Order: sequence, then structure tokens, then C-alpha cells
Amino acid sequence: MPALVEVERLTKSFGRVRALSEVSFSVEEGEVLGFLGPNGAGKTTTIRILLGLLHGDGGTAKIGGHDCWTDHARASRFFGATLEQPGFYGFLSGRDNLRQFARMLGRVDEKQITDLLDLVGMTERADDKVKGYSMGMRQRLALAQALLGKPRLLVLDEPTNGLDPNGIHGLRILLRNLATDQGLTIFFSSHLLSEVEELCDRVVVLHRGEVKASGPLSELMNVKGFRYRIDVSDVEKALPIVRAVDGARAEPGTIKDSINVTADHDLARQINHALVSAGVGVDQLVRTEQGLEDVYIQLTGVPVDSPLSSPAAPQ
Amino acid sequence: MSLVLSLIRNEFEKTWRSRWIVFAVLGGLFLLIAGGLYIYYVHLENRWTPQAPVAWQTQLRDQIRANQQEVVNLEQVKQQSQGGGTVRVGGRGGGDLTLDQAIAQAKQAISDDQYLIDHDIAPVQSFAIAQAALFALGGIVMFLLVRIFGWLASEQIAGERSDRTITILLSRPPSRNQVLFAKTIASFLISLVVVLLTLLIVFAMFAFWFGSPGSLTDQAGVAIDGAKPLGPGNLLQMPVWLFVLMLIGAAMLGVLCVQGMSLLISVLTGRWAAIGTTLALLFGAPLVSAVVAGILFLISGSQDSSHFLTYLFFNVLAPVGSVAPALGNTIAVAGSGINQFVTEVETLAIWTLGFFLAAFLLFRRRQEAG
Repeated sequence: MPALVEVERLTKSFGRVRALSEVSFSVEEGEVLGFLGPNGAGKTTTIRILLGLLHGDGGTAKIGGHDCWTDHARASRFFGATLEQPGFYGFLSGRDNLRQFARMLGRVDEKQITDLLDLVGMTERADDKVKGYSMGMRQRLALAQALLGKPRLLVLDEPTNGLDPNGIHGLRILLRNLATDQGLTIFFSSHLLSEVEELCDRVVVLHRGEVKASGPLSELMNVKGFRYRIDVSDVEKALPIVRAVDGARAEPGTIKDSINVTADHDLARQINHALVSAGVGVDQLVRTEQGLEDVYIQLTGVPVDSPLSSPAAPQ
Repeated sequence: MSLVLSLIRNEFEKTWRSRWIVFAVLGGLFLLIAGGLYIYYVHLENRWTPQAPVAWQTQLRDQIRANQQEVVNLEQVKQQSQGGGTVRVGGRGGGDLTLDQAIAQAKQAISDDQYLIDHDIAPVQSFAIAQAALFALGGIVMFLLVRIFGWLASEQIAGERSDRTITILLSRPPSRNQVLFAKTIASFLISLVVVLLTLLIVFAMFAFWFGSPGSLTDQAGVAIDGAKPLGPGNLLQMPVWLFVLMLIGAAMLGVLCVQGMSLLISVLTGRWAAIGTTLALLFGAPLVSAVVAGILFLISGSQDSSHFLTYLFFNVLAPVGSVAPALGNTIAVAGSGINQFVTEVETLAIWTLGFFLAAFLLFRRRQEAG
């Protein structure tokens, strides 16, 4: 069975800036795929191409086997989508906005609109004008809009933007339920790694317009070696000693008087020996689980939300 | 088809819910103007009710008598001045005439009027509805309405872009052509309703002034070439309703032309840039035209030398205006008449087609990068 979303060697430039460079990935029916990357990586550009708002300079982007630009009418029957900072008609109520968008699908199903408003927790404010909505409420309305017409694929661009922790938690549960109970395919971009880690079956990591990695989350996190947290008496003295151990990469830890070390193979004994020999007190050396954040940093070379993750192209 | 109808319905709802205040202000203004004019009428005529209607034949006979008296007066002046001298006449084609020319013109008017009476053809201005159409569709009211319609059309796509709703609009199944087509139809229909309502209000005012709503089926006459005297061979005869329909068509073509231009601007820019550019063009171009016309008049001494400016589309009311001085038995004026009307309608149609074609082509290829 062909994949629901097929992106092959997709390239896109804005003037002299290359936003996407031969990007390829696919989304299988029924899976939840996370689209990761720092700001300016090309996530929104890719999503805009899938939605038919932009067309690539080269390569193809297909949904349900239909080209997203040349056969947009057919491709768009497969998905519902929200983009970052969703827009609505401020002078209409949330319910009337949904009616507007439902008409674009051919008909207005009042029951479905009521159910969707209930699903995203907007029933009480449904008849208020959207101009009075908070960002979080707009995000929830955007999700309801995307679910109009019961699409097979949900494309979400940073869906948790503007949501408070409760909202993020609620959305996570909602998306998981949609995927498991209704078999909805979900393709979403996010910079919140915890969200991706909890929700996704697979991830695609994009950096400066190139796919750096893609695959099941478990594989991606397992193959990347070992990670330790070492509590030491003197961080400044310990760091160069650990870095001198062949194959070890060290950086100050977020916990006081600790350092984080990553290595491709097990170096616990060598590191411990080197520190003790140099007179650095080691209170404990703990092997920690490799998280998505570590994988992400290794792949992109940019810490999460670092100011170094400067945009490579307009989004 | 049903998808396009749904999109048109969406546009109606959006326009009404976001811009009802504009229509309410317009309605209020019309009521105020009508009320003010009524008070003026009461003050002027010293009566609350309309005066008794006067048949157009009676008006023409009065006019013939007045012109016969004018000929007699001019002949006397001619004898006293031993054949020399000039007289000044008004109107668009006005200027200094020799006494012989003035006498010939008055005699021509008598003969034209007699021809109309003999053939039971009324001058168009005899009918309240025809006068209302000329005033409402070719005058100051329409000048302002056209600019309001241009402003509303300039927001059609640019507004969606600024509100970021364009991402939903273009990612849904309707094609870009369907989206733009629905917006075009909806804005045209809304403007048509406003124009027709305006015409009805103005008609009611003229009907009151005339003392009768008048007939729609009577025959009316308009000069074919406004530069030549009215008469056999230079008179287009048509029922009043057809004349009014013709003016409505020409006025709506002007509206459509402005909407096409505004839509094209809207496809290319954001909301404020689109509104600003549209209004600057719509208000600025007539100003430039007026200045150029003034310069040409100063150089040539004739107003006719600048009437080619009406072919610049911005004078979208030109077709209606071009028949106004060519009514029935008015003074012959260059750049008026049915022939001129047709030429101007053709020019306007080409501009309109060009704008819409460009808007549709550009919108199809336009990339929304956010």
C-alpha cells in the first residue's frame, strides 16, 4: 500500500536562500510522524508545499497519490490542517467560522460542528466572536477546523503554540486518541521534543533544509551510544580530563556540580579512572537514558532553542 | 457548481457581518439627503405634495414658443447691429457664437422639437426614471459608490492574507479559480443591489419632483452623434426601460472594471497596501485627468480637446456621462451621443477583461509563503 504522504527529493529556494534541499520522507497510513527541526529548518515550508500554498522548485510532494500543487483539489480531500498562528474571521463566532470552512468542503454538518467544538473544549465560547479568543482558544478552534469533514490525515504545524501546560497535556491526549481510536494519520511539526517523544511513532529531523535522520523513535534513540551524568567535586577541573578520554564528549550538566558525557561506546571505567587519578572527587557516575534531545543535538549540532538555531530561510 | 454557490454564500456572509456598518451609513446618508431635499422643495414650492405632472408634449411646445421668441429677439439684435456681433451660449460645447449661428441653432432646436412631437418621440429627460438613471448612475452618488466598491474589492484576497485565513482558504478543495470567481460574483452582486437600491431612491425623488413616476414603455430619443443636430438620421429611438437598462449596464461595467483593478491589486499585496493603492488610484486619477484637461483647455481654448481623457478607464462613469448631454433636444456637443457611448463601453470592457485576466492568472501562480 502506498504511503499517504510521499515527499521525494523536494527542493525549494526563496531567492538565493535554499530552504529545502532534496527532502524525502513518507508518512504511512495510521502513523503519527513528528517533524522536528530548529527554527528555519524548513518545516513550515515543507508543510506549506503539502497544503498547496507553495510549490517546490524540484522533486514531488504527494498526498493520497495526488500532487499537492497540480492536483490540489484531490490531494486536499485527504487532509485537514492547521498552520502556526491560525487565522480566523475575527468578526464571526467560532461556530460561524467552522460553518464557513465546512461550506468549502461542500456542506455544513451542524452536528459535526457541535461535536468538534465539544471535542476541543470550546462549547462554552463557541458563539463568542473570535476576536476575543486567546491564542490557546484559537489553536483549539484550528484543530476543530482541521477535523472538519473527517480527514484521513491531520497536518499540524506547531499545534501547541500558545497553549498552557494543561492545554498541551489535553491536546496530547486528544491526538493520541484520534490516532489510536479513529486510526487518523497525524503529521505534525514541533519544537517541543517531549511532545514528539510521547506522541510519535516515527520522527523526521530536518536541519537547514536537509533531512538529518528519519525513522522509528526507538531506533533513533538506541543507536546513538551512551550517556552518563557524573557528579564531581570540581566541574572546571573535571571537564578537560573527561574530554581527553578518547571518544568522550562532555559538557557541564544542568544539575549543580555535574557534567554530562556522551560516548559511542561504554567508557564508564576509563572516565572514572581518569578523574580519580587526577584527584577529582567522583560522588557518583550514573548511566542515563539517551533522550530525543540528545539525538537532536547530535544530529543538528544545535542545542534545543539555542540562539544559534538561526533561520536559514523565510518560513 | 454547488461548491461555488457555497463560496458565494460565504462571501455574502463575510461582507455583511464585517461591513454592515458601511451599508448602514450609506442608507443613513441617502435618507438624510432625501429628507433635506424634501425640506428644500417644501420651502421652494411652498407645498407639501408633488405638483401636477406636465405632459412632455406641453413642455416641448413651451420650448418651441420660447425658441421662436428667441429667434425674433436675435433677428432684432441683428438688424440693430447691422448683421454683426456675437452671443455667448452655455453648456459643455458652449462658447461665443455669431448671431447667425445662434439663430440657426435656435431654429434647429424648433425643428427638432417639432420632429419629436410629430413622431411621438419624447426627449429622454421627460421621464423621471431616465433622469434618475442619469443622475444616480453617472453623477456624484455613483462616483462615491464606485470608490466604496473598489475599497471592498481590494480587501477580497489581501484581507484574507492579512487575517491569515488564506491558508485555510487555499488548502481546502475549491480551486483558486473557484475562490476568485466566487469573490468576483459576490462583490458584483452586492454592488448591483446597492446601485439598484440607490437608483430606486433617486427615482422616487424624481418621481415626486415630476409629479408622476412616468411611463416605462414610451419611446424616447437620443442623438446618435452628439456633435450633429438631432433629427431624422441622427436619432436613436428606444423604449424608456431599454434606455434605463442600458445605463445600468454601463454603470455596472464601470463598477466591474474598478472591482477587477482592485482584485488585481488585492492578489498582489496585503490589506493596507491594497486599500491604499486602490483608493490612491481611484481618487488620484480623476485629479490628474482634471489637471491635464485644464492644461489642454488653456492651450487650445476648447473643452472638446480633452475629451479623449475619458478613454482612460478611470472615468468609469464616462459612458453614462456621454449620453447625458445628448438627450433629445439639447445643444449638440462633441464627444457625446450613442456612438460615443458605444466606444466608451468598448474601451471599458477591454480594461475590465484585462484586469480580471491578470488577476486570475497571477492568483493561480501566486505562492503564499506566509
